[in-house]
Amino acid sequence: MIDYSLKKLVQLVITTFGVVTLVFFTLRLIPGDAASAMAGDTLSGDALEALREQMGLNEPLFRQYLDYLSSLARFDLGETITTRIPISELLLKAVPITMTIAVSTIVLTVLIAIPLGTLAAFMAHKGRKTLDNFLTGTAMILDLMPSFWTALVFLLLFSLTLGWFPASGMVSWDDPWALMQRIALPVLVLSVTQVATMARITRTSVLEILSEDYVRTARSMGWSELRVLFRHALKNAALPIVTVIGLSFGNLLNGTVIVEFIFTVPGVGNLLITGINSRDYQMVQTLIVFYALLFVTINFATDLVYRSLDPRVKF
Amino acid sequence: MFQKTLYARPQHRSFRAALAGLMRNPLVTNKKSRLGLIILLPILALAAIAPILPIQAPLETNLFASLEKPSIFHPFGTDKMGRDIFSRTLAGIKVSLIVGLSVAAIALGMGLLLGTLAGFFGGLIDRVVMTVVDIFLAFPSLLLAIGLVAILGTGLIPVILAISLADVPRFIRLQRSLVLSLRTRAFIDAARTVQASQFWMVTRHIVPNTLAPMLVAASIAAANAILIEASLSFLGLGIMPPEPSLGNVIRDGQLYLEHAWWISTLPGVVILLIAVSLHFLSDGVRELLDPRSRK
Repeated sequence: MIDYSLKKLVQLVITTFGVVTLVFFTLRLIPGDAASAMAGDTLSGDALEALREQMGLNEPLFRQYLDYLSSLARFDLGETITTRIPISELLLKAVPITMTIAVSTIVLTVLIAIPLGTLAAFMAHKGRKTLDNFLTGTAMILDLMPSFWTALVFLLLFSLTLGWFPASGMVSWDDPWALMQRIALPVLVLSVTQVATMARITRTSVLEILSEDYVRTARSMGWSELRVLFRHALKNAALPIVTVIGLSFGNLLNGTVIVEFIFTVPGVGNLLITGINSRDYQMVQTLIVFYALLFVTINFATDLVYRSLDPRVKF
Repeated sequence: MFQKTLYARPQHRSFRAALAGLMRNPLVTNKKSRLGLIILLPILALAAIAPILPIQAPLETNLFASLEKPSIFHPFGTDKMGRDIFSRTLAGIKVSLIVGLSVAAIALGMGLLLGTLAGFFGGLIDRVVMTVVDIFLAFPSLLLAIGLVAILGTGLIPVILAISLADVPRFIRLQRSLVLSLRTRAFIDAARTVQASQFWMVTRHIVPNTLAPMLVAASIAAANAILIEASLSFLGLGIMPPEPSLGNVIRDGQLYLEHAWWISTLPGVVILLIAVSLHFLSDGVRELLDPRSRK
């Protein structure tokens, strides 16, 4: 296990390094340079030159790269271009909100999807095709609904028409109750897609296990259906489900950007959109790297959890 | 004379015969792909004949018909500037399809090329390609596309490039794994024993056998590309207004959600229908190509 974790950790470090390098050099590919792109038509001549100097763009490229790496290592992420707020400060405020949304979504998804998927598998196994077909069909449609559209429909339905959730208001951890009310709808929207994916995987893996020999043996020993389901089917289906939670985390991050934008939740995704719209390349660079690292780390963790859950994998 | 009656086909097939032939097409006989076609074809047809339909042009404004409810004249209603949402949606479908097809084609081409190189030849090429692929796969797809659009700029071509770049690594990985599993098969050994050239083995034995799963992946990639393009345009990073795309029409309606629900909701239904039909189609193609799942 230690050997394996170390090997994976080395891989993680290499990927991280690759991500940082790739993002750095890609952003230097911008036609013109970052300073003129950032300034647009507002600056020219000396002012533009001063901005270049200040951004360190007049240094040799390799020197800039080393500077960037060393400042990353010191967690110095630079400042926003217009308001001169340290980006790390903004991130510290935004990350807890985005993570709250992401984690709540995962919890809600697991609570809904696993019983639903198991039920569908059970029905399919018993030959009751109608309910199973209905569930899989619905899951497919939910999965393919564009999340921004779902968000708008939910906003229209639950917020504007029924008035169940506030459409605006403060979002911060200082007032947890207000926070919960505001992120309820975003979480619901994200869960819709996630539930579909996870229920489908649960259904497939439980269905597979229900036709295994040891399940038949358990039944022939007189175990009740529920006991068979819990002791055999769900326990063994846990592996693929854990993998899916990890893998769908990327989709979840994609989704948070969109719901944060629509519900004006001040999370990392909203920072990113603001950064792009104000052409703040320093910020875009930092945030994209942040998302990638988060995603890679989650995948790393998923891998380790998978390994430790599966007794067949020997180290 | 006898031969002729046996083998000659009639010179003019009647319309009914042609239709019957079409109905025997595997894409039509397969339940899933048929359902996909039944949804997709009318949408495509509508988008194709949009210019000759008696509806307002997509960019034409009419301030006297601002925010009108769906009616016979405006099936999807109108927006703030009195533009016809139905006609803008049909124009948006065209954009979506161009994006979907281009992304699928680019991803398929690059995937076939680099995946085959990496899988068949192995060694240094394999290591370099796969390292780059792993780095690209470290980014969630929409976020990679957002980052790339921030660099490449907005508009149709940058959007296509950005989404393709996010998709290509997945195709390389799929193709490589397919090639790796084919490389050890007996027919490759047989080709090797008769001293077939590597080029021959790749073009005649390897690539044809990987095409089926790659095509299925491509049709799913097309559906995803359409969703990502819509998301980018919705975020204001894709196709820019006034040029219509399904995403930015929905964005336009966001401000008027409370008073004019039709602007944002109806084009979304169209995106959903396109995505669902492409998935049914790819499911059907998968069944047709995979002899094991045939009943």
